[in-house]
Amino acid sequence: MNPARKGLPIRACRIVVLVAMVLVTSAWADEDRRPNIVILLADDMGFADLGSFGGEIATPNIDALASAGVRFTNFYTHASCSPTRSMLLSGVDTHVNGLGNMDEWTAPNQRGVPGYEGYLSDRVATLPQLLREGGYHTYMTGKWHLGKAPDKIPAARGFERDFSLLDGGGNYWDMTNVVSASPRLVFTEDGRYLKSLPKDYYATRTYTDKMIEFIESNREDGKPFFAYVAHQAPHDPYHLPRKWRNRHVGDYDKGWDAVRQERVARQMELGILPAGTELAERMWFVPDPTVLAPAPRALLGQKMELYAGMVENMDYHIGRLVEYLKKIGEYDNTIFIVFGDNGAEGTDLFKMIAGTPGTRDFLWAAMQWSQTHPKAWGDPGSFVGYGPMWAQVSMTPFSQYKGWLAEGGIRNALIVSGPAATRPAGSINHGFLHVADIMPTLLEIAGVHYPRELDGNPLPPLIGKSWVAMLSGETDSTRNSADWMAWELFGNRAVRQGDWKLRWQWRPYGSGDWELFDLGKDPAERRDLAEEEPGKLVAMVGLWEEYVAANNVILPSRSVFESLEDALPPRFPVEAGYPPLIYKRQFVPPPEMMAEPQEGSP
Amino acid sequence: MRRSLAALFFLAFCAVPTLSFAQVPPRFYWKTLGGTNGAPLIYQSLSGNANPLDPAHVVTANANVAFEAEVFIAGYAKMLPLFGRSAMVALLQPMGRIAVDGTIAGLSTSQQTSGFGDPMVEFAINLVGPPPIKNIPDILRYEPGFSLDLIVDVAFPIGEYDEDKFVNLGQNKWYGRLGAPIVWQFGPWVPGRRTTLELLPSLWLFGDNDDFAGVTLETDPMFQVEGHLTRDFTETFWGSLDAVWITGGKSTIDGQSGESLDNLGIGFTAGYPLSESLQLTVGYAASVNDSAPDDLQMDGFKISLVYGWHKIIEGMGRLEDGE
Repeated sequence: MNPARKGLPIRACRIVVLVAMVLVTSAWADEDRRPNIVILLADDMGFADLGSFGGEIATPNIDALASAGVRFTNFYTHASCSPTRSMLLSGVDTHVNGLGNMDEWTAPNQRGVPGYEGYLSDRVATLPQLLREGGYHTYMTGKWHLGKAPDKIPAARGFERDFSLLDGGGNYWDMTNVVSASPRLVFTEDGRYLKSLPKDYYATRTYTDKMIEFIESNREDGKPFFAYVAHQAPHDPYHLPRKWRNRHVGDYDKGWDAVRQERVARQMELGILPAGTELAERMWFVPDPTVLAPAPRALLGQKMELYAGMVENMDYHIGRLVEYLKKIGEYDNTIFIVFGDNGAEGTDLFKMIAGTPGTRDFLWAAMQWSQTHPKAWGDPGSFVGYGPMWAQVSMTPFSQYKGWLAEGGIRNALIVSGPAATRPAGSINHGFLHVADIMPTLLEIAGVHYPRELDGNPLPPLIGKSWVAMLSGETDSTRNSADWMAWELFGNRAVRQGDWKLRWQWRPYGSGDWELFDLGKDPAERRDLAEEEPGKLVAMVGLWEEYVAANNVILPSRSVFESLEDALPPRFPVEAGYPPLIYKRQFVPPPEMMAEPQEGSP
Repeated sequence: MRRSLAALFFLAFCAVPTLSFAQVPPRFYWKTLGGTNGAPLIYQSLSGNANPLDPAHVVTANANVAFEAEVFIAGYAKMLPLFGRSAMVALLQPMGRIAVDGTIAGLSTSQQTSGFGDPMVEFAINLVGPPPIKNIPDILRYEPGFSLDLIVDVAFPIGEYDEDKFVNLGQNKWYGRLGAPIVWQFGPWVPGRRTTLELLPSLWLFGDNDDFAGVTLETDPMFQVEGHLTRDFTETFWGSLDAVWITGGKSTIDGQSGESLDNLGIGFTAGYPLSESLQLTVGYAASVNDSAPDDLQMDGFKISLVYGWHKIIEGMGRLEDGE
């Protein structure tokens, strides 16, 4: 039997059960009026990259969706990709849905524990599964990263059609993976594992082409569709067709501090951030770009040029999809949800994997990823990421980046447009939202009820809240000041309630102890209030303990960050202009006091 | 990074113009950092039926002669931005020995000469193409794309000349040319994968040698097109297929006109950097449609060493070495 078919009887049973449970309850249930849904997920894109969020990167197509819809500035994902995707597609906390840790970093004490499988558990129902049973076509293209086994792939988890990268990333033009132990990326198309990729494959373009093809193939039956376009872009390596690489030549030579300052100024001007917003401190191990020589500034700037090209190329292909929907008359009846899956990537993934001479991954990189010359950056054999300095730019004004539970790791730009978003076009909302809200929101919009059971087993409750009332303008915020959400990944922990945020992070990114921030006044998390607000600290830690108990949170016995303090230079405060020795400009005396030297007597 | 910078900086000085059959080596008109200096030392071993140091390649009528030349060319070149464009000034001084054996008008002759030839100055300025390279980031970003230059060459008739000899290192006439070098990049500009098609159409103009064995030698203008298809074999090792076509340049000696030239030569060049500052090229070229008595027949080997330097690159080197 074809392995892909093994799960079919089980799936068929589920389908019968789910069909029986699905209730079409609201006005949205009218087949003629139910909107299409398009989720456009960018991989590792930062909060401040889009033009509509203050970025200088040209994203006219996404910005057009923002202009037609609503921008959200307090939207939270998780700190890395598969945990976010798991909550997006299940609406359930990561420690319950199987992504209590990333598959790549499951700790010894988490192995075999339900909730830490490293793939999307079959104990949860998925959004496409429910929407499909609710009468939607369900399509997926792009990165899955939620399991590779036949019963874990998109076709087994509710997608009617798919073209999917099952891994977390890799080459954009072929099947080359980053690690030698798994040298080939794994793809599926409509539930079958691909032996090779289509001719002329380039991830961002192909994902778009395939999605258009899927929508077109069933267009005549009039059923609404759920389209999940999980772009690989702009995840490193920055693989980019040549014509997209030179759109920002020299633009970033000015350095990361200047670009961050420009972005935060635009964010305040746009109303994304309140006036007076302070930038997070530059990471202490990142140099002040103004003290760098022109060559390293140009080389480091070129990495950001490539990243900007990746985002612009993705925007272009998003524009193609939007144009297609306009052309077939479906645009006006389509909800678009656009966001990045976590903070921008500031960790050198390539160095982490292949940076040690003598290892097999180093040899693998030498063979497969050897295009290290700057002129080759962007080519198939190159592996360029932009580093912590530019990741901080992408996350302006926040602190830190992907992998961490500082705001820079989990807060992202969100755009919602379409028939459900009837707030004023182009408006900005600052309500506290979470990626797990998307499932209840879309189920409500589709008129699909979240069932109590799956295969006779109780389903975990959805942890998010529907945005429908907020999107329609009935309410201004989905959450009140007492509502809270919590996160844990790699041992880092966080709770947000109202404007308060509790955070525990590995040293030296964190203090190795609880820290407390008032995000309303300090979105950049510069001032730890744990000592000043002991009462609030205790209350927030109480919420954390509640979260642990409710979700069986098992802190990992090993973590990707466990030895970071030994690898990084000692942390010190970063203060502009210190030390004056290297900043003070040439002293110029008053001209009237200048004189030629007096010649002495022989 | 310094090594790659040095390599990038050095590429434009992989060779310098010589006065051999294929006049300008491949990759000569690539650009580099303004202020960069280059000092070429070129050895050529040439054979043919015309004086290889005379760009007019005068083929003597009614003669059956063989020229053998051992020539060194030393020079200096400097890149500089001018009027917002890349520019270059180069000075080349040939020197060496030339011998001729054979019969001229039925008379056996055997002569040789040695000394300095006519120095030549070249001025080149880019008209179409990338902006001038003013700093190291510009080096990193340089790609020729399609670039078009204007060159002016002038040779000064101060080389050694003996009117009693049939063969001389100096030409005893003013000459020079106007040219329009083109560099056309194909594909990526990644060391190891660079490919260019380079063309140099040029018009040579010659003054009269009014003391050519006691008579006057006049030479008509000559049109020349040089072409090079160059390709990297590795990040540092490259090669080129070379061709040159010349037409015109009819010589008139004491009122008696010869034939216009219409010749094709082909050859190859290979280049490799011996160090961050020293580039080696070797090449061979030969005429191919040279069976008629009045056709130009010439072939030659060439080995060049070019030393390049720039104070920024030198400084970076010292810092890296801990000086």
